[in-house]
Amino acid sequence: MAEIQLRNIEKRWGQFTAVRDLSLTVENREFIVLLGPSGCGKTTTMRMIAGLEPVTSGDIFIDGTRVNDMPARDRDIAMVFQNYGLYPHMTVREHIAYPLRLRKVPEPELGNRISAAADKVHLQDFLDRRPRALSGGQRQRVALARAIVRTPNLFLMDEPLSNLDAILRVSMRAELKHLHRELGTTTVYVTHDQIEAMTMATRVVVMNNGAVEQIGAPEDIYGDPENLFVATFIGSPPINQIRGRLAGGVFQASQASLGGFAKDISGDAVLGVRPDNVSIADRDADLKGTVFAVEYTGSDLLIVVEVGSERVTLVGDMSKRPRIDQAIGLKIDRRRAFFFDAKTHARMRAAL
Amino acid sequence: MSNAEQGGLKPPSRSTRIGRMLQPWIRRLALWLFALWCLFPIYWLLTMSLKRQVDAISRKPKFIFQPIWDNYLNVLASGEVWLFFQNSLIVALGTTALSLLLGVPTAYVLARYRFAGNADFGFWILTTRMTPPVAMLIPFFVVYIRSGLFDSHLGLILAHTAITLSIVVWLMKGFFEDLPLELEEAALMDGATHFQAFRQICLPVALPGIAAVAILTFLFSWNEFLFSLVLADRIQTVPVGLYNFVGYQQIRWGELTASAVIMLLPVLLFVFIFQRQLVRGLTLGAIK
Repeated sequence: MAEIQLRNIEKRWGQFTAVRDLSLTVENREFIVLLGPSGCGKTTTMRMIAGLEPVTSGDIFIDGTRVNDMPARDRDIAMVFQNYGLYPHMTVREHIAYPLRLRKVPEPELGNRISAAADKVHLQDFLDRRPRALSGGQRQRVALARAIVRTPNLFLMDEPLSNLDAILRVSMRAELKHLHRELGTTTVYVTHDQIEAMTMATRVVVMNNGAVEQIGAPEDIYGDPENLFVATFIGSPPINQIRGRLAGGVFQASQASLGGFAKDISGDAVLGVRPDNVSIADRDADLKGTVFAVEYTGSDLLIVVEVGSERVTLVGDMSKRPRIDQAIGLKIDRRRAFFFDAKTHARMRAAL
Repeated sequence: MSNAEQGGLKPPSRSTRIGRMLQPWIRRLALWLFALWCLFPIYWLLTMSLKRQVDAISRKPKFIFQPIWDNYLNVLASGEVWLFFQNSLIVALGTTALSLLLGVPTAYVLARYRFAGNADFGFWILTTRMTPPVAMLIPFFVVYIRSGLFDSHLGLILAHTAITLSIVVWLMKGFFEDLPLELEEAALMDGATHFQAFRQICLPVALPGIAAVAILTFLFSWNEFLFSLVLADRIQTVPVGLYNFVGYQQIRWGELTASAVIMLLPVLLFVFIFQRQLVRGLTLGAIK
């Protein structure tokens, strides 16, 4: 069990800054997800915690001990790699035993711990196989078993599910979450998949261009984004954006004028509203447009409406399926609409 | 018939059918001819070793003759063959061991670690192959005479290693570069030191490459003639020993070829053993 502190860490390669002034405290037993598009520095951050990559500046503390110069093997961290990092010449049993053997765990104890770990990830029947003879999901489990067998301080997982097919990914997601509850080990998890982040994390760290955009619980990241990047990166279908100008509680867009907003913020702004918070209105419509596309996803009906030059997506009612090109009025939920500064993309918040 | 025409699928014409039937046989014939071409010298060597001198040097090559075992008996009775064999084995195994011992870790470091002059160092190793070995023969000879390495197993091992080392390093370097970095990183996270990661993870995974390089090194040293001839006198390796049968007046073909056949066997054995290792190693594969 461990608490990790990152204080102003940076990673530079020559002129290129991969991670910029990142500070983060991961509490004991937390499941932190580093989320961001590829190249945002999330994997580099994880590798610095692991000790596979030296930090350029800043400090990393694990349980209050500065570990900047501590080699990876002494940090008591287990890591699951994206391609699993399995040893082709070892059987599953040897894989699970390897970290224990390196720690000189007495042989009689090995058997029990191997079968306990293999049990947790349902690998009992495959102990004598080599990676070549395992499926992708089973290889994933070997990597997991190897990580949990030595009950480390901390788990690091680098996109562990990205090589699995969609169905397996969903079930492994649940298993990882279950495993975390069972073991209670602090976990740092890297992914570019927002669903993984939202479903598994206690807190999400959204990163972009080497910097942190927002740190918060999944509910906060989704329901209270700090800036336009977080708002657009999280949520599927993505948040609707309407450009315009806000003054005196009225948002003036090219096609419409929407009143009823907070009066104490003003300026060029982007109105962000999620598809769930837009509804069809026959009277008192905020926006008027024509139906551009209707998408049936199984659980939802997505309606894309063309409003002037912009498109607005909303989650519609299954029973009322509109026709293409039909004129339609839209209502925006004022309490769930966000404003972002048109230039800085920072959230514009009304004083309470 | 009309059905096939309507569907646009015509049955193949007679000549195409015959062509298709013959194709695998033609392929087989070509392979057999090639095998024959490759194996003929070995066949000739074997038959020659069973011929009398008159048959061996007969102007019209004799395919049918009265086989005799005298050549083998003579060669085995004189016992020299065993000495050549012993010398070659010591030198070739010594060269293989020393080349791998020095070359494999060097290759690993060149493949995995960034340090000032990494590329220069790799190139410098390669430059040892840029002059014909003969050019280095005289310096070697002088140094060996003065240092007492002349006419010793160690001397031949060192000379052969000097020639093979660059190949070992470059072949293994390529092999290590192809191994995913994740393997060693996984080992480090599991608690291994850099050296443990190399020895317990990288080396076993690189085994097929090492086996291939070992075969090449062994065969080079086993067949090497020039350095073995010049840098030793009483210690004669197989190729040098065979040269003894080439006299001023005549070539004793029977004994020469009989010795060659006897000495061919251990090499074949060696290659077969390592080949199995090679195949086993290759099938380990599968990292993703």
